[in-house]
Amino acid sequence: MVMKTTSRFFSIFPSALKGNFQAPRRNYIKKANKKAQMKVQQMSFMLLGIFLFFVLVGMIILTVSFSGLKQSATDLKEQNAILLVTKLANSPEFSCGNVYGNQKTDCIDEDKVMMLKENVGKYLDFWGVSNIEIRRVYPENKNMACTSGNYPRCDTIKLINKPASGYGKSNFVSLCRKELYKGQIIDKCDIAKIIVFYEEVK
Amino acid sequence: MIKNKRGALEFSFTWIFAIIAGMFILFLAIYGVTKFIDISKSSQSAQGAMTIGVLTNPLESSFETAKRTTIRTPVETRIYTDCKNNTFFGKQVIEISEKTYNKWSNQELHNFPNKYMFSENPVEGKTFYLFSKSFELPFKVADLIYLTSTKDKYCFRNAPSDIKEEIEVLTGNNLSVNENFFTKISDCPLESINICFSGGSNCDVNVKEDYVEKNGERMYYEGEALMYAAIFSNKEDYECQLDRLMSRTGQLSDIYRDKSNFVFEKTGCDSGLSVQLVLLKNIAENIEGSETINTVYNIAGDLSRENEYGECRLW
Repeated sequence: MVMKTTSRFFSIFPSALKGNFQAPRRNYIKKANKKAQMKVQQMSFMLLGIFLFFVLVGMIILTVSFSGLKQSATDLKEQNAILLVTKLANSPEFSCGNVYGNQKTDCIDEDKVMMLKENVGKYLDFWGVSNIEIRRVYPENKNMACTSGNYPRCDTIKLINKPASGYGKSNFVSLCRKELYKGQIIDKCDIAKIIVFYEEVK
Repeated sequence: MIKNKRGALEFSFTWIFAIIAGMFILFLAIYGVTKFIDISKSSQSAQGAMTIGVLTNPLESSFETAKRTTIRTPVETRIYTDCKNNTFFGKQVIEISEKTYNKWSNQELHNFPNKYMFSENPVEGKTFYLFSKSFELPFKVADLIYLTSTKDKYCFRNAPSDIKEEIEVLTGNNLSVNENFFTKISDCPLESINICFSGGSNCDVNVKEDYVEKNGERMYYEGEALMYAAIFSNKEDYECQLDRLMSRTGQLSDIYRDKSNFVFEKTGCDSGLSVQLVLLKNIAENIEGSETINTVYNIAGDLSRENEYGECRLW
């Protein structure tokens, strides 16, 4: 009985055979520690996995909602451009006033706009759009850009001197100016389009 | 016994670790969701502020007189209007705060350099009325926009016939619950803000010939557009907006002077207004408060007459 118990003891704690009676306890603790470490590692990996999963889900939600936000911002810019283009011709910097007979709606004073183009520096961010262009539709003059040199034998007045970018919303207007014809000062009105450009929010 | 104790230790350590890590993850998740809700509310408010600015675009008038539009919000909203004149044309600031779960959201602002809004600060409600009037000096300078809530009732007591008529056209003589402008004293609700045109008792705003007195402060005006501006805003905003309007007057004077010279060179048609336009620009840009507004109007009056009967009209 004593032998059996001793052999079982040495089979469990073989280091005791070498006369080291402190070792079995240490080994047991080592084994227990390893087991605990494994569990902690398992749990850490699990928690890390859950954490990463939620972070990924959060990032997807954020990306979707922020892309919606950008779309809303672009939609608002578009709406602004649509509403602005219908009324811009009546704003003081563009409108004909009483210069060409009675007051007219959607009438742009071409002489005034040419002077606005010369003084446009202070108006760069004034209307909250990227550019404003007035394009003569009829009669056409080979689609030439207007400068003080070729005015009025030109078609396009770009208020801000940079290439048109983004999307444009347009409205038909009458484009009027004073002209000398056979020694007489006359009012000349053409058909034109006013185009308001806005840029997509990126 | 020892083994049991060790087991208990192992078990409790695992749990402590799990609880700490779980709390950390939960904290991050709650913090993230709270921030996300805040950002969503802010973005909604910012969109609201931008929308109000965009919706005022159709108020740009041509030759019609005052006109009114309505803005309805799905929840109780506060609209703050502020004026900044730190840039050449200055800025109209619109801020929105919405009431959700009985709590007001953060104010989100949007700037509009081409708008001039006058209102109480803030205006609160779910339905708002906007109307505009053209400001001319002597050429059109801008459209002034007046913002009121249907919650604030205005009683125009003894208003001159032209103002009475104009308000009646705006309201369409409608006495619905949402109506907030009244010209007949008998129709005015008890909680009305009393705007008195010929004195009297219980007046919140006194309108005199050349100034409006509100909260013990005087705001000087010329013309109906500025009179309404003084009625609906406060002294600080009124003076700031007037300053912005004068900057735009100065810039438009430059454009009209250049146009005058340009048309003269091109056609020989002389407006004869170049010198007075320079004078108008100088006076407008150097005006010190509404007290001296009449000096600008004096020169504007001369310009208006000369333009009307001149050889070559500029506006």
